[in-house]
Amino acid sequence: MAAKPGSAPVTYSPNLGQKTRPPIFKDNDLDWVRPDGRGFHQCRPAFFRTGAVNSASGSAYAELGSTKVIVSVFGPRESKKAMMYSDTGRLNCNVSYTTFATPVRGQGSDHKEFSSMLHKALEGAIMLETFPKTTVDVFALVLESGGSDLPVVISCASLALADAGIMMYDLVAAVSVSCLGKNLVIDPVLEEESYQDGSLMLTCMPSRYEVTQLTFTGEWSTPDINEAMQLCLDACNKLGKVMRTCLKEAASASQE
Amino acid sequence: MGLPNASGDLSTEVEVDAFRRLFPLRFYEKHLLESIRPDARPLGRARETTIALGAVASANGSALAKIGSTTMLAAIKMEVMTPSLETPDEGCIGLLPLAACFPLSLSLLKTSGMINLKELSLVSGKAAWMAYLDIYCLDADGALFDTALLSAVAAFSHLEIPVVSLNDDGKIVLSEEQGLSDREPVNKEKRKINLSSVPFSLTCVLHKKYILADPTAEEESIMDTIVTVVLDSSSQLVSLHKPGGTVLAYTSAIQDCIALTRQRVKELQKILEEAISGMEVD
Repeated sequence: MAAKPGSAPVTYSPNLGQKTRPPIFKDNDLDWVRPDGRGFHQCRPAFFRTGAVNSASGSAYAELGSTKVIVSVFGPRESKKAMMYSDTGRLNCNVSYTTFATPVRGQGSDHKEFSSMLHKALEGAIMLETFPKTTVDVFALVLESGGSDLPVVISCASLALADAGIMMYDLVAAVSVSCLGKNLVIDPVLEEESYQDGSLMLTCMPSRYEVTQLTFTGEWSTPDINEAMQLCLDACNKLGKVMRTCLKEAASASQE
Repeated sequence: MGLPNASGDLSTEVEVDAFRRLFPLRFYEKHLLESIRPDARPLGRARETTIALGAVASANGSALAKIGSTTMLAAIKMEVMTPSLETPDEGCIGLLPLAACFPLSLSLLKTSGMINLKELSLVSGKAAWMAYLDIYCLDADGALFDTALLSAVAAFSHLEIPVVSLNDDGKIVLSEEQGLSDREPVNKEKRKINLSSVPFSLTCVLHKKYILADPTAEEESIMDTIVTVVLDSSSQLVSLHKPGGTVLAYTSAIQDCIALTRQRVKELQKILEEAISGMEVD
């Protein structure tokens, strides 16, 4: 592996251990104990803080377990990309990973579809007609990936939009559920996501009880789907309350 | 005009904000006459600086540095590479090309002699560490280079090299992952890197006869002459950078900048040491 002079040397990560999947799910009664000791239907405690970035119109930082995300919102402002007049506003989303977010460097580029998924999750909740001709830019940066990244990004983004004063119908909360054999676990960590048979991500507006986005992957039976969706809706409700508390604290702190 | 009076008369407040936007230079000069800046700092004082080590657990070393509102997150991930034939005993530091877009290149981290690359060697001639350093700007409010350098230095001081061993295929793997406790780790003792002559920097803007240390983004945009001085912990000059600008930097101005930097180096050293000792609770 001799590198040509002047070119970057080829490197590999020592973190190569491929964990073999423990074959315990299908038939045994052995239960999977979650790595962090949570119950199957228990989400990680959520920490939110708005106003993290001074140079942005609005921003929020979210930490759920070891998943850390920071979102900055700029706008409504003029956009050079928008050539045509439009009497509704435009939303532009971008989700990127830092190179050190994943256990192996540079794996974040596997998630290029997150930007468009974030866009679809948010566009139903924002009142685009309140800022015609202009664009709102949402930039999400995942600092550390600890599982359930996209739901955390979506919740954090809606807080950042609220911090920026963009008019919305409601806050948007998102939660994902993984199917591990016969068990449904909510808010999976990275390890659980790598073993999952299927996953469901639900994004909804808690107070309006309306779903803005629903994403299924893998194998699902109908009763499981119903149970998983109900789990998600309940969790989103609770998450919505946590987000509201965060906004209220920020508002009352600035009033003092 | 001038500073808003204490009675908080709204009409004077609005005028001050408008004056600040319309005539920024005159707004600043009124303050500089009193040797103060709009955020009440004396001319030679830098903004409040904090360092938080270990911000990101998925990296081998990380640090978040804040100077005022400017926030930079630096993290280091270690990967294994084959050392080059001329330097079989040395590892390497990988800097994103993005880091070179600073007016002053962060490659001075390599040249300042802060790190002895021989410490990054694993098996002579076969394997060595490549330390990828990535810096992300989370909030930009002036003095970006200073904050970036500080966060990079802090990340290196927090860096913990993972224990690895050679497996059967001749590849380096993490010792715990393999579960081979009987296999001799290649680097059991070497976990932290020794940092000698750590570089610290201070950016100043020059305007007429004033020197403002640690400018905010507003100050950098209206006053175009910037001087960056990088000194190491023994006060030796590592680099001096003055890219053009309308103000000519006479020897006295440069010497003043260097004196301010010398002071700042002592402050930053203290802050970094406090951050490191704060981490060593065990």
